Amino acid sequence: MRRLSRNLLVTTAFFAAACTNFLDTNPPDALPDQLAITSPAGARAALAGAYNALQSGSYYGGDFMFFNDLYGDNALHTGTFSTYGDAGAHQFRADNQTVDDIWNAIYEAIKRDNLLIEKVPNVAGLPSAERDQILGEAYFLRGLNYHNLVKLYGGVPLVVTPVKRPEDAASLTRSSAADVYTQIVADLKQAEQLMSSDSPTNHATVAAAKALLARVYLYRGDNANALAKANEVVALGFSLALDYSDLFDADGKDTPEDIFKVTFTAQQFTNAGYYWQSTDDGGRAELGPTQSLIDAYDPADLRGQWNIKGTEAGSASGTKWPTAIGAEDFPGIRFAEVLLIKAEALARLGQLPEAVATYNDIRVRAGLAPHELGVDVTTQQQVLDAIDRERRLELAEEGDRFADLVRSGRAVTVLGVPAFKLLFPIPQAEINVAPGIVQNPGY
Amino acid sequence: MKLRNWSSMPATGALVLLAFGSPASAAAQATIQGTITDSARSRAIAGAQVSVVGTGARTQSMPDGRYRLTGVAPGSRTIRVQAIGFSPVTRDVTVPATGEITVDFVLSNRTVQLEEVVVVGYGTQTRENLSTAVSSVSAPDIETLAHASVDVALQGKAPGVQVTQNAGNPGNAVTIRVRGAASLTANSQPLYVVDGVPMVSEDISQLDLGGQGVRGITGLSPDEIESIDVLKDAAAAAIYGSRGSNGVILITTKQGRSGKPVVTFSTYAGVQSASKQLSLLNATQYLAFFDEAAENDGYGARYMEDQLGFTDAVNTDWQKAIFRRAPIGNAELAVSGGTESIRYRVSGNYFGQEGTVIGSDYRRLGGRVNLDFKASNKLTFSSKLAVSGEANHRVEGDNSLTGVVGNAIANQPMIPIRLSDGSFASTADGLQYANSVAIADLNDTRARNGTILGSLEARWLATPNLTATGRVGVDLYTVRETQYESPGIIGTYAASVNGVAKRAYSLGNKYVFDGFLNWGRAWGGRHNLQVTGGSSVELNRTESNFVRGETLSDPSLHEVSNATTVTDFAGTRAENNLVSVFGRANYGLADKYLFGFAIRTDGSSSFGPDNRYGVFPGGSVAWVMSREPFFAGLKGVDLFKLRASAGLTGNQAIGNYPYQSSACTANYGTEAGYASCTLGNPSLHWERTRQIDVGFDLELFQSRVTLSADWYNKRTNDLLVSRPIAGASGYISYNANVGNIVNKGIEFAITTSNFRSNHGFNWTTSLNMAFNRNRVTKLFDDQPFSAGFRLANRVEVGQPLGAFQMYRFLGVDPATGDAIYDDINKDGEITGADRTIVGSPWPDFNGGLTSTMAWKGLDLTAFFNFSKGNKIFNGMRLFSAANGYYYDNQFSDVLGRWQKPGDVTDVPRASFDGTSGAREVSSRFIEDGSYFRLQELTLGYQLPGSLARSLGFANARVFFRGHNLFTVTNYSGYSPEVNSNGSTANISLGTDFYAYPLARIVSFGFQVGW
Repeated sequence: MRRLSRNLLVTTAFFAAACTNFLDTNPPDALPDQLAITSPAGARAALAGAYNALQSGSYYGGDFMFFNDLYGDNALHTGTFSTYGDAGAHQFRADNQTVDDIWNAIYEAIKRDNLLIEKVPNVAGLPSAERDQILGEAYFLRGLNYHNLVKLYGGVPLVVTPVKRPEDAASLTRSSAADVYTQIVADLKQAEQLMSSDSPTNHATVAAAKALLARVYLYRGDNANALAKANEVVALGFSLALDYSDLFDADGKDTPEDIFKVTFTAQQFTNAGYYWQSTDDGGRAELGPTQSLIDAYDPADLRGQWNIKGTEAGSASGTKWPTAIGAEDFPGIRFAEVLLIKAEALARLGQLPEAVATYNDIRVRAGLAPHELGVDVTTQQQVLDAIDRERRLELAEEGDRFADLVRSGRAVTVLGVPAFKLLFPIPQAEINVAPGIVQNPGY
Repeated sequence: MKLRNWSSMPATGALVLLAFGSPASAAAQATIQGTITDSARSRAIAGAQVSVVGTGARTQSMPDGRYRLTGVAPGSRTIRVQAIGFSPVTRDVTVPATGEITVDFVLSNRTVQLEEVVVVGYGTQTRENLSTAVSSVSAPDIETLAHASVDVALQGKAPGVQVTQNAGNPGNAVTIRVRGAASLTANSQPLYVVDGVPMVSEDISQLDLGGQGVRGITGLSPDEIESIDVLKDAAAAAIYGSRGSNGVILITTKQGRSGKPVVTFSTYAGVQSASKQLSLLNATQYLAFFDEAAENDGYGARYMEDQLGFTDAVNTDWQKAIFRRAPIGNAELAVSGGTESIRYRVSGNYFGQEGTVIGSDYRRLGGRVNLDFKASNKLTFSSKLAVSGEANHRVEGDNSLTGVVGNAIANQPMIPIRLSDGSFASTADGLQYANSVAIADLNDTRARNGTILGSLEARWLATPNLTATGRVGVDLYTVRETQYESPGIIGTYAASVNGVAKRAYSLGNKYVFDGFLNWGRAWGGRHNLQVTGGSSVELNRTESNFVRGETLSDPSLHEVSNATTVTDFAGTRAENNLVSVFGRANYGLADKYLFGFAIRTDGSSSFGPDNRYGVFPGGSVAWVMSREPFFAGLKGVDLFKLRASAGLTGNQAIGNYPYQSSACTANYGTEAGYASCTLGNPSLHWERTRQIDVGFDLELFQSRVTLSADWYNKRTNDLLVSRPIAGASGYISYNANVGNIVNKGIEFAITTSNFRSNHGFNWTTSLNMAFNRNRVTKLFDDQPFSAGFRLANRVEVGQPLGAFQMYRFLGVDPATGDAIYDDINKDGEITGADRTIVGSPWPDFNGGLTSTMAWKGLDLTAFFNFSKGNKIFNGMRLFSAANGYYYDNQFSDVLGRWQKPGDVTDVPRASFDGTSGAREVSSRFIEDGSYFRLQELTLGYQLPGSLARSLGFANARVFFRGHNLFTVTNYSGYSPEVNSNGSTANISLGTDFYAYPLARIVSFGFQVGW
């Protein structure tokens, strides 16, 4: 018995000693950071991860899109979220949680792009063509992400290498909008050069880089370059989808109009349908079309018929995204927008007949009669107004409206807000932890 | 004769205590027998220790209260009886040379039980020799519970332990805070230890139903619990080191007693009802109110009727439709007995209750086998095995658009529950939210929990002074959840996809291996030393699977297998391990000067290699001043003991791998992907709580008055915080040790025997109160932040944790009817900057009051609990007092709204567009949560022995009992005891958001023994 007790003690002591190894535990479903992006497979996985960031419910999967319509004149807040209510009323406080969420979601995406750009060049065993393609896609995504930031917040901290220490996060400061745009253009040009392969439509391609460059040049007022890039895209052979509704297919099937789209599936879903649809259709009716949007559609306009159900703002619902499940893909940039960019660049450069001819493709697809220059539209301003209208009708519920109004200089008039409100506030939570980041004036 | 002789110290419970001293006298002729009963409740006391002072003769009483001491040497002897929860009694008797004498004892109940055995972790101590702060609750206070969670027994009974029933749904978890809250991000619930084995006490369930939690503690039946001890100060909790910061709850289960098999059966059955109905508008009032709201904002008259087509032809009382009278019942059958070498207690129990809200119910079936086996004079084994299954049928609550209670309050009164064709009315018929009755009827949410809690312990009495104990313990806990969302509820997501089914499986397993030595020695007549030392290894394993499917073929098919599309899935595991060495020494000098020291070193896998080990020491001293010669002249003072302690404890409950940088799954379509998800912090380490405690125990007039009081100061440094960092880095938070919280306070318990006699009328009252003050004293860069529902809770230096921050409501402008808010920064506008601290969810004080009267077998116990000064954020009023902005039905106080210029009221005008300001989050929705509640009232009758025997029982008791019979409060919601954010909501306590109300229960029961 005495031996038993001794054995008991020895066993316990042994156990305690052996168990110190048990203190080295690792999560079985996550990779230690230093092992990430160290192999060709890892580089591919991290690239998928970079696209995954676009699916966030605060980004293309939801808030980012909704707030562009809500803070513009397309959408009305009809739900229960107070942060959405403030967007609808143009009454942002600096601590609006959704404004914070959008900021964080886009920077989350940028972090992933930066890690790829930093680590992929050092990955051994990656064929150079594939390495360049991955890097090109990462540059494209970073350009896209920064453009989405600068549209809403103005000049933002320009983070182009991964942040590895919290101190480095705390000392971030804002760059000017011009500097951010310089970086965007540089990234997109880099992307255009590096990419070569025929990627699927849910990855960036040379065409996507050109199309996004065209968009960015238009935002900068560089109409000649916008036109040039738009023409390069046109030359690649895209065409409009036969039916407008094909673009918003419940399962996200491809159309000839796709240039770059963000994949959503039943598991990696978008909130678009759920938030826009009425409660009777299984949505939560968090937002609905404004009366001005409803009235802007000609009754014959196939887009209005697809995009809106009902005639009274408040009870009408947005139906562009047909299901609450949310497996519809999101057109990050589609050929119709490239045509509208081309038309606008042409119009601004005074080439009115070509401009009208270009946007007429859009009108015809929508079941409307083409405009005739000199009859329906005559002056340059009328042409530009017509293009703005087509943009609104074509891209409604796709999160384009607010930035577009600001770009075209109509926002103050259309929205009836003071000029400072044309930028979102920098999230207060960000300023709290990085005091070098200064707030936008007025907030 | 108070414990001068250490040999009279009993070895009870699961944990061994050294007994040393002279062995039993061999010369034995006489027998002493009798019964032991409880003066307050006239009930038999089982398990009382009966000993003949100065000899080794001892025994325990049977469940029917009888004891039998054989082999007592003749002569003048002192018999001593002590039992947990009662004052000990000694009586001098003359023992004849041979034969049998009968000596009955009546023990009286006490709150401060100085000679009670207290479980302190890896051993026991007597209350008298304790120099630390430990509160205890014993079986009589536990078996009266009508709640699935046994820790509710601490409510109002253990000073400094704040117990909050988050909501009244059956089987719900509760929030427990020992001496305030000491953490921001890390778990603030105490550590639970059952028979020496820490249990899985965190909520591992996966379906989030607002504040409704699922925790393993509900797998224990109150019937099987002997006592609950709470280690409150750092010197006591230091033996549990890195997990002691939030207090330690030690639960001890009932043991077998040797003797003939004794069978006991106890049961009760009762009826529950919702304790309150809220006053809401009826259909006529509703339409008039919203007409006015519309008209005020320029929508024209009779908007509801003329524009929307509503009439008041139907008037639905939605609350009445969802509340019901519901049965509750409990039964336990136990057999206990044994021989010299083997003792057993085998029990089976059932507890069931239907919810007072339709569609909810809870059942638990459990069994326990506790065995003690004496292999030799030196080697004993104890095994404990409990198995239980719980079936919890739940309804969504709180923060959900399909909460049954929430929607019953919000649903409009002019809409019927069902249409004329019998189908449920829906949003298509004008309801603003899903039909609450339809949700309860058609949706189905269940949690099925399985608990296997077992341990095997071997004790080797190596020498008379040294015992070695080895113990293996397991807690195998599983939670299986299902949820079905019916397409029959028009207007929900599930309807648009033809049904949603979910299935979740969660497993939390804990394996504990302990080895420790207890050594004790008394010498020189003055010195007593007890030393405990050992080591422990604890392995924690969690696993989880989850799958969610949509689009089911038929309304009667509810499983994920019936779905066409899987829309969400998960499956993983995690581990967390702890390796520890601990020790404790208690030294008593002349029974007057007591010194204690405890230390534990923990190594935890939660932290990086450089910060893995932590040392947690605690020390205490006590001076039993009443034993000093200068005290001898003070008549009436039985005991006066001063105590002081200081120590350091920790907290590590911030997840399994908080220090690591890792890349997590981030798939894109069909491409497998990952992305960096955490920014690691290799220097992350334990939260450290330094606590000092000064207290005293006082016993007067032969235990007629006992008083115990403590002052403490508890300072938590290096808070484990997921602190925010600039999102532009791509990370939004970073785990770090930043910030301090201080909790300080006073707590006391006083028990008085107002009337005391052996056979006549007895009346005892106990009062305990705790005054805790909680302050955040340091944060990262002292940056305040907000949390909780609508970010109402603030964490700010100088304020209580989670103080409410919002606009201060000043009243209603008599000219316009608009709400006026305090323009704190005087800039002429009400903006975010005008939000200010408007109250704290923490009480000024809380406690309990128990009164027990007994007379000739009758007993009457009234137990009140109370809380004063805590504020509640009544989040329901954001909608139900938004005065027209939402179509939710409104609380009837809107009838006193402003209607025309000159009206003086504090209810803003009705406004369709919300332009009255009524919907702003403001102090208008902060209410006083003080309350005084009759938590329990019991009238019991112990049948006289002869009557019981003629009925075929050894003893029998019948009782009527009521729970939650009345509450005095100004709070306008269902119950001022509420926490919609759940037990893990450290910094967002005190919010009521459509919480399931607490039930009022009236029951009848009986206990019989054979």
